[in-house]
Amino acid sequence: MIIFQEDSVKAMDNKIIHTENVDLYYGNFHALKNINFSIAEKKITAMIGPSGCGKSTLLRVFNRMNDLVEGARVTGEVKIAGQNILAGNTDLLNLRKKVGMVFQRPNPFPLSIFENIVFGLKIHQMYQKNKNKLMEIAEQSLKAVLLWDELKNKLNHLATNLSLEQQQKICIARLLVVKPEILLMDEPCSALDPISTARIEELMQELKKDYTIVIVTHNMQQAARVSDETGYMLLGELVEFGDTQRIFTAPTDRRTEDYITGRLG
Amino acid sequence: MISPRLTQKIAFSLLLLATLMVILPVAVVLFIIVKNGLPGISWEFLTQMPKSGMRAGGILPAIIGTFYLVLGAVVFALPLGVLAAIYLSEYSKDSWMSRLVRLAIINLAGVPSVVFGLFGLALFVGFFKFGASILAGSLTLGIMILPVIITSSREALDSVPKSFREVSLSLGSTKLQTIKYAVLPHALPGILTGTILGIGRAAGETAPILFTVAAFYLPRLPHSAFDQVMALPYHLYVLSTQVPNVDQKIRYGTALVLLTIVLLMNLIAIMIRSYFRGKKKW
Repeated sequence: MIIFQEDSVKAMDNKIIHTENVDLYYGNFHALKNINFSIAEKKITAMIGPSGCGKSTLLRVFNRMNDLVEGARVTGEVKIAGQNILAGNTDLLNLRKKVGMVFQRPNPFPLSIFENIVFGLKIHQMYQKNKNKLMEIAEQSLKAVLLWDELKNKLNHLATNLSLEQQQKICIARLLVVKPEILLMDEPCSALDPISTARIEELMQELKKDYTIVIVTHNMQQAARVSDETGYMLLGELVEFGDTQRIFTAPTDRRTEDYITGRLG
Repeated sequence: MISPRLTQKIAFSLLLLATLMVILPVAVVLFIIVKNGLPGISWEFLTQMPKSGMRAGGILPAIIGTFYLVLGAVVFALPLGVLAAIYLSEYSKDSWMSRLVRLAIINLAGVPSVVFGLFGLALFVGFFKFGASILAGSLTLGIMILPVIITSSREALDSVPKSFREVSLSLGSTKLQTIKYAVLPHALPGILTGTILGIGRAAGETAPILFTVAAFYLPRLPHSAFDQVMALPYHLYVLSTQVPNVDQKIRYGTALVLLTIVLLMNLIAIMIRSYFRGKKKW
């Protein structure tokens, strides 16, 4: 009974991303097979699975970064806030402003911390003449990623000289200035040590209040720790999707069980 | 039977010898030119007009001429080369057209400089009726250094990590904005280096300016882009072969000035490169 109750609560969540029959091909390679699921707003959704299962590819469907790959072809529908973003007339610039991405390796530009953070505003030609406003936004953004106290006196230092954890947070801060609604995180901690990883996870819990987060990870413990819902992917298929706790304690699919118990992967 | 240890020693000595043989000509050339040229260098030599049929006085018009020619070549070749490199590196797909363009650039780099001279004579001096002028000479030199600039710009663009482009695009920028803000600034040092090497080459070449601009003897400074000028490499040729009884120190002095300009350009290029190499971390 309790389980049913939980599920009915779940159904009331606002779903912000909704996929319908999504297939993706790289040339002849069928990388995503008939993906159907929904991602809840202001929750953390984790995608797990062995390398090459298509979880990063799926992530890159949501901001259409797969468009950059030659020979990639997507069919089906992905609705974000009701709009099918796979439609030909989608405004990619707006989509990517709304759906931001954090990459596997921290990738700040070899510029100052300040210049890195306001990079997105330079692109979008916002406040370029108003130094005070830029400063204010940089401050907000650094505060949001819990770096302000550490770095407030070093804003003109080279961002590439920071620790990897700080670099990754700078990358998140750089993303926040363009006011995204969804944050896609592609194994954001795979280059970090456990302590830094814990701090990033802490930050994710903080960010969840304002943003919807989709994280791809091959660290199962991480998915279990941070996420509200988890999807298990294998060979391009979404094998199972649901409440994180349930996926890790009572998976319904044999293949999920094999993976989370360590028989595969 | 020679022991392996001895074989090794002999091989090592041979390799060392070969390496020294490379340095030797450079050292000897520098030594001879500096030794014979230095006595000819004076403030007067650098700032005066040539006198008594180039057998005395200075080489100012040749220095100024070379300066104008190089400047003109860069003004023409730098934008064209960088824009072409951006197209080739960032936009063009691997089609037969882009392969053809790449092939053309490689071939352009291999064309003997005297052929560029003839080409300039036919096109700029003759067809466009610029006459023998700074304009015609600059354009000819510009075309000659174009492949250097394109090739080094492409290398510089290609060495900018793909992740910079991805980040920029993922923040909602257009491709052009990405190139402008996330790629070009980081490729600039490499582009600059290539340009300076191109300048060095343009300053030293004789054949391309031979038919298009260089004056045998013109003891005044140019007034417009349609004037002829003297230029250092051609002046050196004239002094060495066309005018009898030129004092050795004037000839070597001219060579020393030319060599210094070219080496200085290369030195600046090396300094820029090492400065930015220390700075970039990716």
